[in-house]
Amino acid sequence: MTDFEDHILVRRALQADPESFGELCSRYYPSLVAVADSVLLDHHLAEDAAQEALAEACRQLARLKKPERFGSWVAAICRNVAKDMLRELRRQKEPIPDRPAQQCDCPDDDRKAILEQAVKQLPQPLREVIFLRFYNEMSYEQMAGVLGATEQTIDGRLRRAKKRLAVYLAGKGFRR
Amino acid sequence: MKHDKNNQWLDPLLSRLVHREPAKFDFKKWAEKHPDEARLLRDGFRDSGRNVKTTIHNVWRFIMESKVTRYSAAAVVALAITLILLSPFGTPGNGGVVLADVQQRVAEVETMVIRGQKTFTRPADGEIFEFNGMKCQFDVVKYFSKQYGHTEEGYVKGNLVYRITFNLPKRQTLIVIPPYKKYVTFTSTESVTKIMEDVLSPKGVINLLLESGYKELGRDTIDGVEVEGFEFQDANPLKKILPRAVFDIQQGKGKVWIGIKEQLPVRIEGDVVIGKSLMTVFNELNLHEVNVLDKYNVELDEALFDTKIPEGYTEFTLSNILHLIPVEVKAGLVGLGIAPAGFIVWKRRRRKRVKRASQS
Repeated sequence: MTDFEDHILVRRALQADPESFGELCSRYYPSLVAVADSVLLDHHLAEDAAQEALAEACRQLARLKKPERFGSWVAAICRNVAKDMLRELRRQKEPIPDRPAQQCDCPDDDRKAILEQAVKQLPQPLREVIFLRFYNEMSYEQMAGVLGATEQTIDGRLRRAKKRLAVYLAGKGFRR
Repeated sequence: MKHDKNNQWLDPLLSRLVHREPAKFDFKKWAEKHPDEARLLRDGFRDSGRNVKTTIHNVWRFIMESKVTRYSAAAVVALAITLILLSPFGTPGNGGVVLADVQQRVAEVETMVIRGQKTFTRPADGEIFEFNGMKCQFDVVKYFSKQYGHTEEGYVKGNLVYRITFNLPKRQTLIVIPPYKKYVTFTSTESVTKIMEDVLSPKGVINLLLESGYKELGRDTIDGVEVEGFEFQDANPLKKILPRAVFDIQQGKGKVWIGIKEQLPVRIEGDVVIGKSLMTVFNELNLHEVNVLDKYNVELDEALFDTKIPEGYTEFTLSNILHLIPVEVKAGLVGLGIAPAGFIVWKRRRRKRVKRASQS
């Protein structure tokens, strides 16, 4: 089962083969959690979002026009589910103010806080590649499957993201 | 893929900040939590919004309403006619696979992972050949990299039994046999390197088809993939791989199934008759091999093709298997010049001496 390509599994899932859909879920679940976590910045909520995204994908599966792009399609669903969850959370409660950035020399916790802040200030698409790359140590090829982009695009995004992080960290007096 | 070297210092920091153990998905729990979706999966989307009629209608409407599609369609038809009439490779038999194109496509693939099974049987009774108590039926994984070389791993019941690594840049081959903690290593000559590249690879199989002639088997579907089959009977190019004393391929035939969409071999089956030779521990054997394309153009770690001898392994020598070789072929060994006569006689005398000593 694990050897089959996505489009075969999608076709089988549409022909009353739940295991095929299960295989697709297992294949993409870690990536979906990473995508959702990059939006929500909360691992448990990210898992909920990923599961909900898979349910939505199941409901919409018959409308998937390019089964070979299941990965990027379900990731887009997950991104939207996570954004909806974030909006809902913001409606329910006041956002927690960001911790003021500190000049540091630096104990580990402070360095971690600054780094978290640096990742948080990244635009969503750049934060997403950082999460995908470092969350499960995904390869460029796997990331390409999830983001529906070429490996060159992903490489470019990753470099831009790291450049921004480096500039931000330098501005906060973060030492290597 | 290259990183901006200046910011590589961020990698370990980001890894520490973001990394988590891969989240495991429990399909059973998910199905319990989403009963409607689980039912949909069981029933096969019979009641979903998409049916054949609406799909056809939508496609037709899309074609008719889109100017771009209409103009593009005209251009594509014109181009297709030109290509069919002028194709340098000739037209495919039934509109599917052109082997010259497949050869080109395979040559362009950077990496491949192939999974399959190798079964050695005795020609006399068809039983699986046993070597030192181990049935020679291996689950096989093969890694091919244009850059680094080839690695083949053989497993029995999930345990690694052998790994053959051919490192292309170093021109070095390493065979390790984990159950015995033994290894064999040798430097490959120019000609062996060429054979490894041109014969013992998916590229080689396509070359074999084109060189030796083939029979078309028509279309089929393998695991949902539309394929076209070809059969070859002439294994002459395979016979060049190794000297007969080492691996004596007497006959060979095979079938190659090529994905019509992928234009790549998705399944290769082969049957080889092997004469008494070193690689079969001087037994006549039949080999049946099935290879299925698992992945291609994936990142393969350079370490997979490492020919460094693992710690604790000692060199494999003929004396390691001498006691497993049938008596009647030992003379043949001497004849082939693989083992000196004195060595075998000395071993037998020594064994007799030990036996006598233990009896007294």
